[in-house]
Amino acid sequence: MAPPEPGPHPATARGPRDRCSTGIEALDNILEGGIPRGSTVLVAGSVGTGKTTLSLEFLLHGAERGERSLFLSVTEPAAKLVENMRSFEFFREELLGTGMLTLVDIPVVYERLGLDHEEMRPDEIRIFLATLDAFLTESRARRVVLDSLTSLAYRIQREERIRDFMLRLSEILTAHGCTTLLVSEIGPQPGRYSLRGVEEAIVDGVLLLGNARRHGDILRVLQVIKMRGTPHSRAQYVVEMTPIGLLLAPHFQGESGPEE
Amino acid sequence: MVTESDLGERLRRMPPGSAVALRLDPARYADHYLLAINATVRDVGIETNARSIYVSVTNPSALVWSIAQTLDVPPERLRIVDAISHIMMDYRNPLPNATYLESPRMLENIMLRVEYLLRKEPGQRHIVVIDSVNSLAIHNPTKLLNEFLHILLNNLKARQVLTVLLAVRDDSSPAIDQLLALVVDETIDLGEGVAPP
Ligand SMILES: Nc1ncnc2c1ncn2[C@@H]1O[C@H](COP(=O)(O)OP(=O)(O)O)[C@@H](O)[C@H]1O
Ligand SMILES: [Mg+2]
Repeated sequence: MAPPEPGPHPATARGPRDRCSTGIEALDNILEGGIPRGSTVLVAGSVGTGKTTLSLEFLLHGAERGERSLFLSVTEPAAKLVENMRSFEFFREELLGTGMLTLVDIPVVYERLGLDHEEMRPDEIRIFLATLDAFLTESRARRVVLDSLTSLAYRIQREERIRDFMLRLSEILTAHGCTTLLVSEIGPQPGRYSLRGVEEAIVDGVLLLGNARRHGDILRVLQVIKMRGTPHSRAQYVVEMTPIGLLLAPHFQGESGPEE
Repeated sequence: MVTESDLGERLRRMPPGSAVALRLDPARYADHYLLAINATVRDVGIETNARSIYVSVTNPSALVWSIAQTLDVPPERLRIVDAISHIMMDYRNPLPNATYLESPRMLENIMLRVEYLLRKEPGQRHIVVIDSVNSLAIHNPTKLLNEFLHILLNNLKARQVLTVLLAVRDDSSPAIDQLLALVVDETIDLGEGVAPP
C-alpha cells in the first residue's frame, strides 16, 4: 500500500484529545483518531446510503462519552430518529433524559419563529442563525448534526445568500467549538458533494456515502474525500450497518496485483 | 481415508490463527463433508470450547442447520452466514441462528458479517468454516476471490481464529489449488492414503 498523502495543512503533533472519535473504529483509523475537533464536515450521499445512521452513531458515541450532543432534524421527526437509534445495541434511554443527547425538530423552530415563507428572507436567515447561536450557548453541545443542510438551504434559494449562510453557520459552530456533521442530500451522479457546490468549499471535510455496483449487486460504500489537517486514505470502503454500528471493509477490486 | 479423530487431532495441533484447507474428493463428497463437519464444528468446537461461524455458499442454511442437528452439534455453537439462500430464492423461513446476504458476490459483506459475529462475543473462541472455495469461485472472478481470502484470512489470523476452508478436488481446474496454496497454512486431503478408484 502506498503511504497516505500529506493533507493540505502540515500535520502537527496532535494528541487524541484533538480528535473527535466517530465511534466507527475503521473510520477513526482512516482519520488518525477521528475528525479534528471543531471541524465542520459534510456527510454527502444519495437517499438511503446511510447518512442519518452514521450521524446518529456519531452523536450516540459522543453522548456516551459525556459530550453533549445535538441533532437538528429538518426532514424526519425526532420520534422517528429515536426509533432508529434503538436498533443500536449501545443506545441507552438515559442519554435522552439527562440532556446528553437532544433532538430538535427544526420545522417546530421555524413555526415558533414565524418563519413560514417558502423562501427565507435575509432578515429571517439572521433570526434563524441567532436562534441557533443562542441554543448552542444554552445546550453547551460539543457535537452537532444538521440533517439535512440540503433541506435547510432549499429555503434559501439564491447562491450568494447560501454562501453567506454557510459562512455564518460555520463561524457560529466554530465559535462554540462544536464538531459538526452537515448532511448533504445529493443525486447518485458522481463529482459533486452538495446541491449548489458552495457548501463543500466552505467545510473542513467531506465524507461521501454511495452505492457501488458489482454485477447485479449493490454495495454501500464510504469514502473520505477531504479532511483538513489529516493525511488520509481516499480509498473506497464497503459499509455494513450492524446493531454494533457501522463496520467497514476495503472495497475489493480484484484487478491490481499485490505488487501495486 | 483420514479418520475423524485424526482430523480433529491435526486441527487441534494447529497454532492459533491457522488457516487449513480440507480437500474433499468429489466421488465421496457426502462422506467427506460429514467427516469435515463432525471433526471441526462438533468435535474441535466442543473440545476447545469454540463456536463456529459457518459461511455457507454451497447449501442454504436450512440444510446446513438440519445436518448439524443430525450430527448433534450443540445449537448454541453454530452461527451461519448464508450467502446463497437469497439467490436460490429459498428464503421463506429465516433461521434465528443465520444471517442472510443478498448474494455470494458481496464478499466484503461476508467478511463484515463474520467480523460482526466475532465482535459480538469478545473473549469467545471461534472457528470459521468456509463452505466452499469452489462455490465462491463459481460466483466470483479469481482475482477478486484471491483478494477476499487474503484479507479475510489475515484478519482472522490476527484474531487467532482457526479457519477451515472446504475445497472439492477438481483436477480439471488447477486455479483453486493455486489460490489455496497462496493463502492457507496447510492442506489436508481427506482422501489421503487411499488409492484413487
Ligand atoms: N442496522 C441496520 N441494518 C441494516 N440496514 C439498516 C440498518 N440501519 C439502517 N438500515 C437501512 O439503511 C438505509 C439507510 O438509512 P439512512 O441512514 O436513513 O440513509 P440516508 O440518511 O442516507 O437516507 C435505510 O433503508 C435503513 O432501513
Ligand atoms: Mg437521512
